[in-house]
Amino acid sequence: MAGTGQFRQKFRQRFADANSSIRKIKREDLRSVMTGRNAAFALGAAIVVIVIWVFNVGGGEDPTTAALRKTGASSPSAIMKEMKETQAPAEHSALDTPAEVIEKEKAERRSVAESDRTVQNPLFNESVEVDISTRSVAITSAFSGQRIVVFGAVHNSLQATAGQGLYDVIIVLEGLKSKLVSRRKSNVAGLWINTQSVEFESVPSYYTLSSTRPIAGISTPRVFDQHGIGFNHIRIEPAAKDPKRLPPEELKSFRDGIIRLKAKEGLYQRKPAGVEFIGRSLFRTSIDLPANVPIGKVVARTYLFRDAELIAENTAAVQLKREGLEALMYSFAFDYPLYYGVFAVAMAVSAGLAASAVFSRGSH
Amino acid sequence: MNLYLPIAEMPVNILVFLGMGGAVGFLSGMFGVGGGFLMTPLLIFSGIPPAVAIGTEAAQIVASSVSGAIAQYQRRNVDIKMGIVLLVGGIIGSAFGVQIVKELRQLGQFELFVSLAYVVFLGIIGSLMMVESLNTMRKARAGAAVSAHRPGQHSWIHGLPLKMRFHRSKLYISAIPVLALGAIVGFLGAIMGVGGGFIIVPAMIYLLRVPTNVVVGTSLFQILFVTEATTIMHAVQNYTVDIVLALLLMIGGVIGAQFGAVAGEKLKGEQLRFLLAGLVLLVCLRVAWNLVVMPSELYSLSSVVGGH
Repeated sequence: MAGTGQFRQKFRQRFADANSSIRKIKREDLRSVMTGRNAAFALGAAIVVIVIWVFNVGGGEDPTTAALRKTGASSPSAIMKEMKETQAPAEHSALDTPAEVIEKEKAERRSVAESDRTVQNPLFNESVEVDISTRSVAITSAFSGQRIVVFGAVHNSLQATAGQGLYDVIIVLEGLKSKLVSRRKSNVAGLWINTQSVEFESVPSYYTLSSTRPIAGISTPRVFDQHGIGFNHIRIEPAAKDPKRLPPEELKSFRDGIIRLKAKEGLYQRKPAGVEFIGRSLFRTSIDLPANVPIGKVVARTYLFRDAELIAENTAAVQLKREGLEALMYSFAFDYPLYYGVFAVAMAVSAGLAASAVFSRGSH
Repeated sequence: MNLYLPIAEMPVNILVFLGMGGAVGFLSGMFGVGGGFLMTPLLIFSGIPPAVAIGTEAAQIVASSVSGAIAQYQRRNVDIKMGIVLLVGGIIGSAFGVQIVKELRQLGQFELFVSLAYVVFLGIIGSLMMVESLNTMRKARAGAAVSAHRPGQHSWIHGLPLKMRFHRSKLYISAIPVLALGAIVGFLGAIMGVGGGFIIVPAMIYLLRVPTNVVVGTSLFQILFVTEATTIMHAVQNYTVDIVLALLLMIGGVIGAQFGAVAGEKLKGEQLRFLLAGLVLLVCLRVAWNLVVMPSELYSLSSVVGGH
């Protein structure tokens, strides 16, 4: 390598030249800056930026998790952890648990509940009312998420104070359900490609669980299963027409995959201390709808528990609607796709022409 | 500075995407390429759904090639007749490609297909260009005259039937290879979200032996019209053209391209080709890396296509 020394010398010379010419730059027209060796410099910088970008995107810290933490919701990994800890025995779902086992469980929970507070009315004639701070949320071009407050009241509340903890409230905020395909990659001849897929019926597009305390302490898996409360209990079933009958543990890993991915997107959230009682009967929770919340109706299902028993429930809904320019463009794209395509082309052509007109005037 | 994209259905940072458009525009202006092969992977890596990235990129290529195409036309560097034959092939190939995109999305193999197409085509073109530019540079250093040679005389391509006379290109060749080239480029454009300049230019020079000055103008003419058709077809078939995203990329892109063009004039042809080859190979490696290295997340979700 005889040329190495020469190359190094040349490089130094170039660097010094570039340095001195950079010092000479005045705040003039940007175009005049882009001359000589500075052009090479800019090229180098652009390539470095591209290289860093290409190799770094997707790495680094997870912005979704950071944003979630700010709102008091637990991180996606906490959801997975909770799921693992509170999992029902793998052989059968809680719906198949024999009645006597359930009764025993309930009795245990009740005795725990009774040991620290007095049950005054065993007839449970409480009811619950609930509403959301807004009936509709406008999704506009500037939409970057919105905070909503779900609040409600317990009728015939027997609590003496807000802090007594006689009642537990779980609020499930759920978006529209849709069909979803979950795919798994595996290594085929050295390449990671999608090999297995399961089509799931009615997967909630959005699901946030807010409760007075972690739900495992509130009631039994059977109740949660019946009402789809909690990440282990959301009804996510494979489509009936799906001919592939996967073994349960395989199915579970696909199901867990859905929840993990949705949680990473910030669409499945958990606020284990999100609901607070303000008075004897009034409670509230504030929930931050993420910027990527799927558009459509979001239903807040509210469950009132006392001594592990579900005693009342109620629902309220908020409608997420595209509005303004956003709605216009969306309906344009989907209702008149041909005109939309032509419009996109016309826009592109005029952007290109406008740019060249502006810049060629500067150069000639 | 966030903006909610209507079709991609996600908020994005305006400055990031303007900057991306600007950086890619700078490089494409400098190298005289469309930049689709850089922009589409960048969009996919930054979380835009692949199908939306490809549909939208087609619209952006229209913007970045329109002024060049008009300038070339005014300099009489466009062989309209050949351009039209290429275009007919291109639209057929593109229609086929858009249909394939639809099918592959249903099968869940779309990303794999796009990745493989990227690795294969960028790998081949990048390596060829790298070798060629290194050879030229070495020859130039050795002091030998660098000849812009037009290799060989006649090949099997010139023996095909259905001959047509292309006056501007001073060629009398069969329409079949021209049509086929157009179709291949149109197909790749539709599935890879690229204009296809990096394939059509060398193919016209080395296979069809079109004079170099006509090649650039004619390929721009074909790319402009094929990407226009591709944009419309993606909008109609797949609903994957996001005009807000396209606008962001266009603004960044056309401005960046102007500066890039000025910068490009300062470098020698073989240096430009060497750098471009490096860039192409880099993108190729990045895409290949994703295919070969075990992903941190094995599962992926997609909505059931067609169920809109």
